[in-house]
Amino acid sequence: MATKADLLQGTLDLLILKTLTLEPLHGWGISKRIQQMSRNVLEVNQGSLYPALYRLEDRGLIKAAWGVSPEGRRAKFYTLTAAGRKAAGEEEAAWQLFTTAVNHVLKSATA
Amino acid sequence: MEFFLSRWVRRLRVLREHRRVEREMGEEMRLHVAMEADELMRERGLSSEEAHRQAMIAFGGVERHIADARVSRGLGVLDRMRFSWLDVKIGLRMLAKYPGLSLVSVIGMSVAIAIGAGGFAAIDALMDPSVPLDDGERVVSLQNNIEGRDNPQRHALHDFAVWRTELKSIADLAAFAIDGRNVVTPSGIEVIEVAEMTASGFRVARVSPLLGRTLLDDDERAGAPPVVVLGYDEWQRRFHADPSVIGSTVRMGTTVHTVVGVMPEGFRFPVNQRYWVPLRLNALNFPRGGGPEIYVFGRLADDVTIEGAQAELTTLGRRMAAEYPDTHELLRPVVLPYTYAFTGVHSPTMGWVLRGFQLALGLLLVVVAVNVAVLVYARTAARTSEIVVRSALGAARTRIVAQLFAEAVVLSAIAAAIGLGIAAFALARTQAFLEAASNNWVPFWMQLSLSPSAMLYTTGLVLVAGVIVGVFPALQVTGRGLQASLQQISTRGSQMQLGPVWTALIVAQVALAVAALPFAGYIAGNSLKRSMQQPNYAANEIVQGWVSLEGDEALQEADSATRHAIETRVVSGTRELLRRIETEPMVSAVAYTSAFPGAEEGARIEVDTSGARHYVRTTLSDTDMFAVLGVPLLAGRAFTPADTLPNANTVIVDRVFAEQILGGGNVLGRRIRTVERNATGGADDAGPWLEIVGVVREFGRQPDFDPANAKMYLPTALRYAFSTGLTIRLDNAAAAASFGQRLRELAAAVDPGLRMHQVSTAADAERESQQSLLAIAIAVAAITGSVLLLSAAGIYAMMSFTVVRRRREIGIRTALGAQPRRILSGIFARASAQLGAGVAGGLLLAIAIDRAMGVGPLSGRGVLLIPGVVALVLIIGLLAALGPARRGLAVSPMETLREE
Repeated sequence: MATKADLLQGTLDLLILKTLTLEPLHGWGISKRIQQMSRNVLEVNQGSLYPALYRLEDRGLIKAAWGVSPEGRRAKFYTLTAAGRKAAGEEEAAWQLFTTAVNHVLKSATA
Repeated sequence: MEFFLSRWVRRLRVLREHRRVEREMGEEMRLHVAMEADELMRERGLSSEEAHRQAMIAFGGVERHIADARVSRGLGVLDRMRFSWLDVKIGLRMLAKYPGLSLVSVIGMSVAIAIGAGGFAAIDALMDPSVPLDDGERVVSLQNNIEGRDNPQRHALHDFAVWRTELKSIADLAAFAIDGRNVVTPSGIEVIEVAEMTASGFRVARVSPLLGRTLLDDDERAGAPPVVVLGYDEWQRRFHADPSVIGSTVRMGTTVHTVVGVMPEGFRFPVNQRYWVPLRLNALNFPRGGGPEIYVFGRLADDVTIEGAQAELTTLGRRMAAEYPDTHELLRPVVLPYTYAFTGVHSPTMGWVLRGFQLALGLLLVVVAVNVAVLVYARTAARTSEIVVRSALGAARTRIVAQLFAEAVVLSAIAAAIGLGIAAFALARTQAFLEAASNNWVPFWMQLSLSPSAMLYTTGLVLVAGVIVGVFPALQVTGRGLQASLQQISTRGSQMQLGPVWTALIVAQVALAVAALPFAGYIAGNSLKRSMQQPNYAANEIVQGWVSLEGDEALQEADSATRHAIETRVVSGTRELLRRIETEPMVSAVAYTSAFPGAEEGARIEVDTSGARHYVRTTLSDTDMFAVLGVPLLAGRAFTPADTLPNANTVIVDRVFAEQILGGGNVLGRRIRTVERNATGGADDAGPWLEIVGVVREFGRQPDFDPANAKMYLPTALRYAFSTGLTIRLDNAAAAASFGQRLRELAAAVDPGLRMHQVSTAADAERESQQSLLAIAIAVAAITGSVLLLSAAGIYAMMSFTVVRRRREIGIRTALGAQPRRILSGIFARASAQLGAGVAGGLLLAIAIDRAMGVGPLSGRGVLLIPGVVALVLIIGLLAALGPARRGLAVSPMETLREE
């Protein structure tokens, strides 16, 4: 069994939004948080992370501001906007619906 | 929608601040790498260098991620389209790399842009509907247009009376007439154009006086004391800004006026006036459709549109046409924006025509730009391999097209800068010329300058030129599939295909050059020649001017007794003036005339023996006119007073007349007569036969390029004319230069109502016409030169392009042993066919133009110009084919085959 999985297309946006519901984070922080929370299963490709962040910013779901990281470095922190919070809820619900449906299929196939 | 908008606002902001955004993206990604490296050092104990290296590998290229990130910001398309400073630099480098092409293109386009922008600004000035007054766009002009004619009928006193009482849609209807009056000023007597205006005119203008009051309705009453309102400048100049000027008097012609008000600075209403007196014309004194010319204007009533006012006026006009068919059947009253009555825009149709013309001027640049595009296409085609390789390396088509567009915009922007400079200069000169020459008839609101809309129009022209010059060739070159292009480069060298479009372009180009150039050359040449001509008489010692009676026009329609009295007053006044002028110390002689040298009227004549008709120029003048002008008689005798008697029927002609019309030799005793076309279409009306009694040397410059320049002079006794020209010979040039003021004083002393208009030395008048001729010559030569240059370059580019394309074929044929002469003749056959087709088309077009114009190179000696232009075009075309063909032949066959 693979220890690390590639992110399913379209799930990165949901993971970023979900990660940011807890606290504002910078880019590296987001990628590490996703990795931690998935117990090292999901590893975010940097080539996807930043385009995804700018895409979400472009859609007005997150906003960015420069600040100082706990290590004392100047870093750009991303925060969820109201629209982003709403979108996170909707996408999570859709994801749950999707995974439940997939599980049903898998279970009935093995039964 | 809101979401969509805010997203684009964000994108535009990102675009505007793209440097900062890119810097921040780079910073953010470098931070990511640094933090990753820190973690590797912490957790795996790697050295700083190794940790950084691994972090970099894991991250991938920062630049590539930035590029991806830009796309995700939605800037991909904008990005590819955006110009960078590099594009501009490449554009400038291209200009320097192909100096010949750049020079030709810039010259051609700058002339076209100068004409486009200058013409646009000039028409804009004419078409500007708003007069700079409070709520100026609601001020309108009313006039009677004549069905089927260009000029309105302004003898509208009766109409004004009716409109004033009946029109509800116009509040405060007003009228004015302009009349010149002798006014005593600190610098002597001046003839000033005074506005005779109804008091309501000031209410329409809504400008309060600086001092005193404006005119009142009561001032218009017959018998009311004469009053005048002064302009600010006149108050400053004549009364030294005296605040107690109200109540002072000003003598204007025959009447002394009391000053009742001073208008504020800049007030020049209704056209460009500085004195206002009440309009006291009573319609009852004149027949319907008679009386002096007046201009009617007013302010639209509240909530009424110009269309609403027009509807009411049309109804009224129909009623008047029914009531008075004799005078009003063909009159169509119209309501126009105020300014249009003074700039010749007499109807909405005229407005559309002008607007159309304005846009059409831009077409000139389109034609020029197409020419330049052909040149650039050849250059772009030569760069095909560069473009294909760039495409293969991943450059998007939009990026390549954008770069070529940028190059073209750099070219046209430089041309625009030069063109705008020329246009601004020409407009300023035209304004100065008009103000000097038009006697205050340049409206106070009209300023010929490059308006913001003209600048915008020019920017549009630059972009259109950029698209034609840059984008079309670029699309054509980049249009083919990448694979096909690469293949073509590797197998055949960079060769472009020239289809039937280009052949058609060559033919059209040649035709245009052959058709247009002879005419342009003819006009420029004639203007230049005439601007160089010497006046050929004692112009420096001569002062000339027109004498007429103030308010004369108003009395044209008066009863016969009044009219007779006026005519007698004018004739006896002029005679007395002539007598007094002659007694002046520095004056040696004086004569009257109907036209000054160079401004003779046109006439159609018939010659005794042949019966042939000719156009000539003619003047009615005093018997000793030639002596006054210092023009010698070459044959025969001068006029004597007996020649002015009825039935004397004598005429003097100039040498040009004797040679051109009568074929030279002894022309004394020959007979000619004037023939006028009958207005109703019947047989020509012929005058009595006139006997030639003398021949004078030709003199005076002709102010236009009309080929009719033979002149004849008819003697006349002093008799009544609306205005009579006076030609005064002084002892020397200095005396002539200073005599003008004295002349006005003498006239006013004889009769305060006698005015001297347009007084100047003959030398100044000649210089003015010389300058305008020179300006015409320069303008036409500049246009002709740039068209010729572009045509030549276009023909050269297209011909050599065709030949270069066949270089491979030439090489193979040479390798196979073909005779160079045969190959050359093959190429020339095609080139000659194209040139021949163009020349034939151009000649047909030239003949058509000649027929349409009636005057042109085909009808005079200028016919020589056509073979000249044909020869020029053929030589250029064949030279263009010869050069590349020789180069093709010079290439060794092996080399050409190796390219395969």
